[in-house]
Amino acid sequence: MHRSLLRKYGSSWRTGAIVTLVAILGALALVACTSSDEQDSAAGRGNTVQAVKDSGVLKCGVKQTQPLFGFREPDGTVSGFDVEFCKAIQAALGDGVGLELVDASDASTRFELLNDGEIDVLIRTTTITASRDRELGVDFAQTTFYTGQGFAVHADSGINATSDMGGRTICVQSGTTTEQNLADHFTDLGLDFTPLGGGDQETQDAFVAGRCDVWTADQSNLASRIGVLDNASDFVILGELISKEPLAPGVRDYDSEWKDVVNWVVHGLIAAEELGITRANVASMAANPPNTTVARLLGVSFEGGEVSTLGFDSVNAQFIQRAIAAVGNYGEIYANTVGDAVPRACSLNALASEDKSNCPPGTGGIQYALPYR
Amino acid sequence: MSQQPAPQLPDPARTPLFYQRGFRSVLTQGIYVALTAIVLAYVIASLDLREFGFGFLSEPAGFKVGNQWLVDVDGVTNSRITMYLVGVWSTLRAVLVAILLATLVGVVVGVARLSSNWLVARMAMLFVEVFRNTPLLVQIVIWYAILLVGAPVIQNVLNVGDFLFLSNRGIAIPWPVPSDGLWGAPDWFVGIWVLALIAVGAVAMRVRAKRQEHERETGRILFANRWAMGVFAAGALISFLILGVPVSIDRPVIEGTSYAEGMLVQPEFAALVLGLTMYTGAFIAEIVRGSIQALPKGQTEAANAIGLTGYQRLTLVILPQALRQMIPSVTNQFLNVNKNSSLAYAVLFDDLFRVATIVQNKAGHALEMFFVIIITYMVISFAISAVMNVLNARVTAHRI
Repeated sequence: MHRSLLRKYGSSWRTGAIVTLVAILGALALVACTSSDEQDSAAGRGNTVQAVKDSGVLKCGVKQTQPLFGFREPDGTVSGFDVEFCKAIQAALGDGVGLELVDASDASTRFELLNDGEIDVLIRTTTITASRDRELGVDFAQTTFYTGQGFAVHADSGINATSDMGGRTICVQSGTTTEQNLADHFTDLGLDFTPLGGGDQETQDAFVAGRCDVWTADQSNLASRIGVLDNASDFVILGELISKEPLAPGVRDYDSEWKDVVNWVVHGLIAAEELGITRANVASMAANPPNTTVARLLGVSFEGGEVSTLGFDSVNAQFIQRAIAAVGNYGEIYANTVGDAVPRACSLNALASEDKSNCPPGTGGIQYALPYR
Repeated sequence: MSQQPAPQLPDPARTPLFYQRGFRSVLTQGIYVALTAIVLAYVIASLDLREFGFGFLSEPAGFKVGNQWLVDVDGVTNSRITMYLVGVWSTLRAVLVAILLATLVGVVVGVARLSSNWLVARMAMLFVEVFRNTPLLVQIVIWYAILLVGAPVIQNVLNVGDFLFLSNRGIAIPWPVPSDGLWGAPDWFVGIWVLALIAVGAVAMRVRAKRQEHERETGRILFANRWAMGVFAAGALISFLILGVPVSIDRPVIEGTSYAEGMLVQPEFAALVLGLTMYTGAFIAEIVRGSIQALPKGQTEAANAIGLTGYQRLTLVILPQALRQMIPSVTNQFLNVNKNSSLAYAVLFDDLFRVATIVQNKAGHALEMFFVIIITYMVISFAISAVMNVLNARVTAHRI
């Protein structure tokens, strides 16, 4: 009886199999097409400038847990040094582009956010390193903040340098360049230490409670966090730096149009400080530029001459002017956000112990704008 | 044998193709296969795009991991996978200790909830309701805050007779370490000592089994457990007189701002284990209570009728039967301990999840790393299940 059933249904079985086979082949062909599209965009032949203009929103990944750099206030507003650069880029892209500040506080997933297109630019106290540049699919623009890895200790601990830290317990933020610098430095010193790794806030709490003798992070981070504590004077930030930590905006690899815009916005804000263009006077400077350099930076004509676009057609020549009008020049951004927590000793007479790395070159610093011409 | 009547089938020639059974079954399965193929092809294509591979795990780690015990790995020369295994070891330690303590807490509190003493029963209920109804993450963070802020800083360490030290860097307690025996014998001496211990233990177990057998045959109470412990103590005393103790007790000391020697229970480990123990213990207490209450009342009455004491009634009649019901539910709780241990992320404990995120931050390859994390947790869970299944088979060996 079973055999007879099989015989009766045999022909329809074959028809079904043929339909299915055709469906599978069609599906595979479809996948082959879509995945090669995917490959194109993931390999970055995308154009973020156009994509942001089309969507009308710039998605900027910032930290929300570090006072002065990127911090979420109880009322929900996010502000800080890094956030100002997000606003500058937003303004540079022109009218009709909104800004969405995406939470990229978690150090261990920030590059994934960028690679997966959740954010367009990462401005989150991120250090440029060779391995990140090569292996994590990220390209870095001009450094916005020069700092180094420093150490905070309890004022009564008697620790004056890393050479005093043998056998001590050291709180260190997980998932950063900091851990590796620390391990390397203590190997070089031939000293042992006990690490206690965790998030920003957790390591700070442990250090303040006396769970660890030393707290290490970027010196600017230590200064900004200790500066807002009620008992700030119980702690000392050592002058010693064990690394270079140039903090810079990151963009996806293989999108040079976008990288150029981000890069030259940062340079433009630094140049504005060198040229004395401020948020207050940018409009009058644009109306009546004092020299050709200022005219070129602001994208306006000098004494009736031609406007030089410098090739920035996708954002038009006045993108730096809009950025300055939105947030001010580099010096203003610094003063309005970081301020005296990490004082900028911009003077050739500054003491060697004072930090002047983020000053213009004429005052002993290394924040050096590349020429706009 | 009666002949079955042949089913009345419709004539296939007149049924439309779409309504024919063979065509339909092949079509639906075909669509399923096709969709699976699409998903697989898509996954493989995107894996290829991300340079999927595990080679990055054997590169030097470049960072150091805290909370090490019985291992000493520096991280500058060791590979990423080595550091990950140190994290796995930390997780295993926390999970094992938490499972043991949670079982203890659960049984005691579960039995206490059924106590006829009003105060004991209400205290047990309060314990269960507090720890069962608040999130574990919150509990762990609170335990950690209590240990960090509540305990003195190491400069004002609480010193209990140079024997136990308490500060917010942890609790340091004396700990046995291998040392020379009575005659200053070499290292392998510890081996003989361990063998002697096993031999004495075996003899004690044999005595226990014999007396239990006797107990069953004659019905007389022969105190098998007490006898076994007595035999073990006597054997240990004899071995001590002959062999000495090749173990010395290492007392903790304070050097600068660190503990040295002894055994250090760090606040991170303590907060995680406390959280897991109390939370899981509350659930196990409810399982214990439920399993006992599920027993017919006649069991208690019968035990009372043959004149068993309260303790005997519990240990000889009630718990052995309740155990049969408990084990499957308790196994689930043990598996939860394993999974919940990843909440160590909230305190500064370098468990496998945190080490994995450090590796991922340095090397990228998030997909591979999550794959490794998932496999690790599953292996630990399967191991716990396997042990519990053996236990379950043993307690359910006798049909009732």
